[in-house]
Amino acid sequence: MMNMLSVLPVLPFALFLLSSVTATLFSARLGRRVARLSVVFSVLATMAALLELTLYLREGEPHWLSSGAAWGSLCLDPLSIIMSVVVAGISLVVHVYSVRYMAEEPGYGRFYILLDLMTAAILLMVAAGDLVTLLVSWHLVGIVLYFLLGHDQTRQASQRYAFWALITYRIGDLPLVLAAVLLYQSFGTLALPELFGRIAAHPDATTLLGLPLTETVGLLVALSAFARSAQFPLHNWLPYTMEGPTPVSALMHAGIVNAGGFLINRFAPLFVHTQSVLHLVFAVGLVTAVLGSVLMLTQNDIKKSLGYSTMGQMGFMFVECGVGAFSLAIYHLIAHGLFKGTMFLGAGGVIGDARRHDGVPHDDVYTFVVERKTDASRLPWLVAVTITVVVPLAILGFSHWLVSGHFVGQQGAVILLFFGWATGAQLLLATHRLQADSPLRQMAMIILSLAIVVVAYTLIEHGFGLFLYPDSAMRDGLYAAASVPLGVFGVMMGILTVAIVMGWLATYSSKSAPEWRPGRLARARLMLYSLVSREFYVADVHGQLTQLVLAASRKLNLLARWV
Amino acid sequence: MIAKLFLAAVFLPLYPLSIPQNALVMRMKSPWLRAILLLVWPQIGVAVLQAAPADISNGLVIWAMASAGFYALRLLTVRDLGLWASMLASSALALVWGLAANGADVWSLRLFALSFSLPAALLVLLAGQLTLRFGAAYSGLYGGLADSQPRLAALLVSSVLAAIATPLFPGFFGMLTLLHTLDWGFDFGLLLVWLLWSWAGFLLLQGFLFGPVRQAARPDLSGRATAGFVFLLVVLVLAGLALRGGGL
Repeated sequence: MMNMLSVLPVLPFALFLLSSVTATLFSARLGRRVARLSVVFSVLATMAALLELTLYLREGEPHWLSSGAAWGSLCLDPLSIIMSVVVAGISLVVHVYSVRYMAEEPGYGRFYILLDLMTAAILLMVAAGDLVTLLVSWHLVGIVLYFLLGHDQTRQASQRYAFWALITYRIGDLPLVLAAVLLYQSFGTLALPELFGRIAAHPDATTLLGLPLTETVGLLVALSAFARSAQFPLHNWLPYTMEGPTPVSALMHAGIVNAGGFLINRFAPLFVHTQSVLHLVFAVGLVTAVLGSVLMLTQNDIKKSLGYSTMGQMGFMFVECGVGAFSLAIYHLIAHGLFKGTMFLGAGGVIGDARRHDGVPHDDVYTFVVERKTDASRLPWLVAVTITVVVPLAILGFSHWLVSGHFVGQQGAVILLFFGWATGAQLLLATHRLQADSPLRQMAMIILSLAIVVVAYTLIEHGFGLFLYPDSAMRDGLYAAASVPLGVFGVMMGILTVAIVMGWLATYSSKSAPEWRPGRLARARLMLYSLVSREFYVADVHGQLTQLVLAASRKLNLLARWV
Repeated sequence: MIAKLFLAAVFLPLYPLSIPQNALVMRMKSPWLRAILLLVWPQIGVAVLQAAPADISNGLVIWAMASAGFYALRLLTVRDLGLWASMLASSALALVWGLAANGADVWSLRLFALSFSLPAALLVLLAGQLTLRFGAAYSGLYGGLADSQPRLAALLVSSVLAAIATPLFPGFFGMLTLLHTLDWGFDFGLLLVWLLWSWAGFLLLQGFLFGPVRQAARPDLSGRATAGFVFLLVVLVLAGLALRGGGL
């Protein structure tokens, strides 16, 4: 059984690679049957990944598979196994969906070759057992993504935005290269398990200029993850990659863009020894989450709106990493991958339906969302507010206490609970305005739904944490690495509370007096809207910088007479 | 000793001593002669460098890095494929000095040089094929190669990827070795050069591969010629994996 478990990690990656090579060699003979071949390989690879997970759950222990060479090793651990299942599964759905969706597109065979190659590269990345294999696969994902996004070779826009994605990915590749070099120079090994062992033995090692090694490498890894997962200000490529084919958007938003969260989890044994990198991760994640959500709300294109929604979700994923909840980030990544993949694959159908039926359904939800009619029959204000504030807090606190008593004592957990409470409260505050025959019954149903979601979420996340990080010292160590002095924590929570309450008051004020009022506030709002509609001018700044570099290059060539 | 170092700086090109290499490549009409020049030129440089008894000073490495950066930046606006290949070789081959300064053996230096000069040689051969078909090998002049000439396009992509040190080509592992060998201060410069290569490489490819086909139909590369190019690229990858695999 152990031998089988040793070979299995290679299979999902090898099957996709084999599919890609076979399709390349016999594409002329296979014609459109290349899609069928690719789907068959995809099914086999997904089955192999599932079998790997099943065997591991039954009797497996993490182990490392050497290729016999200096690199090319694979790591069989809970993180690689769960990610292999997710990647292979989502890729299978995308493969099947593309059979008909891409049928009318030119380059049908080429699309499947690239799709298989991309999946193989991601599977190699998640299972990489040494630094060089990780670097190779990390680079390859960016390169193959460029060709997949630019699949439609006649559209200039898809080429332009594929290029944006590529350059951002290349910028993100380089810190990881430097991190790998620093780690190898300090510890003299490429193998990840051995490397993490040596880091644990020498957490105070220093590197260039006497800087602490774990802190420096942690920062480089985080920078690489920021670029890969579209964190501010390296986010601009993400919403514009919608110019690529829809199945590629689905694969990208459901899988590829999550690589940043995976990378941070892969280096968890390093982050556990850092002092302040996770605080930076938290801050960048928070800014990205807020900006992504704001930008999502102002889009009038469904796919672009989904793109910014992904940016916001990636921000939340980094917030989770930043507070030390690493396993929660992986759970979030999977949950987000599944629902975002579904939304992308369904987006075409939604657009088609909207074109066929120009009238929107005139039901209660439509009236509530679009026409904003207030309900004559609803709960008394005081009751609603009490329920809004108390119930989410009680549900969240209880469910977390249920799974792990001491968990609520962690700073990271407090922040997560706080965000959970704010989200739940907002949900109740918004829905209590819904028109209903029996407002009490409606509120009870909403609270029940919230309770089910929160308890299920907490239980699954708890189980997930135990699966990914069975060592409780590691889990606690990550929370400790993410913690800040108590005074700072208190101030931070105070600022967050004030910001959220101010937001609620501003929303209440605008809802209660929606008519346009000229004045300083209106001008400020208009300016803010302009800023948001120009996407904070990030693309303009990038464009200007690019033009500056190109102009310098042109000038140098003229001066040097092109030799 | 100074004369030998000076000569080595011509063949392992350091600007402005790199001018003869680029001028010669542009002067030659035959793609085969251009390819042979790009392959042989740096190997002469390695031989001369080995014959020079002196240690390579830090100043020379700084000069080499500046030269590599200078050519990498200029690559961004070069559209002629032949000149692009030659300038990329100028940028990459200057880095041999970094390896040599840290005591790499002659075999490593030759392999490092070959891992960049061979893709450059393939590119000038492909430039010859493009010139035969379209009268010039100029990025952005005619688009749509991916649709109209898929074999030529695939080979062009592979050769550019090899030239800009993408995995699994040996240039990638060579760059890892160099990063490991050099002082950290040089590492930042080297990473910037690597980024510029990628930027320039994909800009070049975009001008050839994409967009509507603006020319009348031309025959694609023959099966035999394609097989020859593929063979060379596969040998390059396998040799790189066998001889330089791992890099660090």
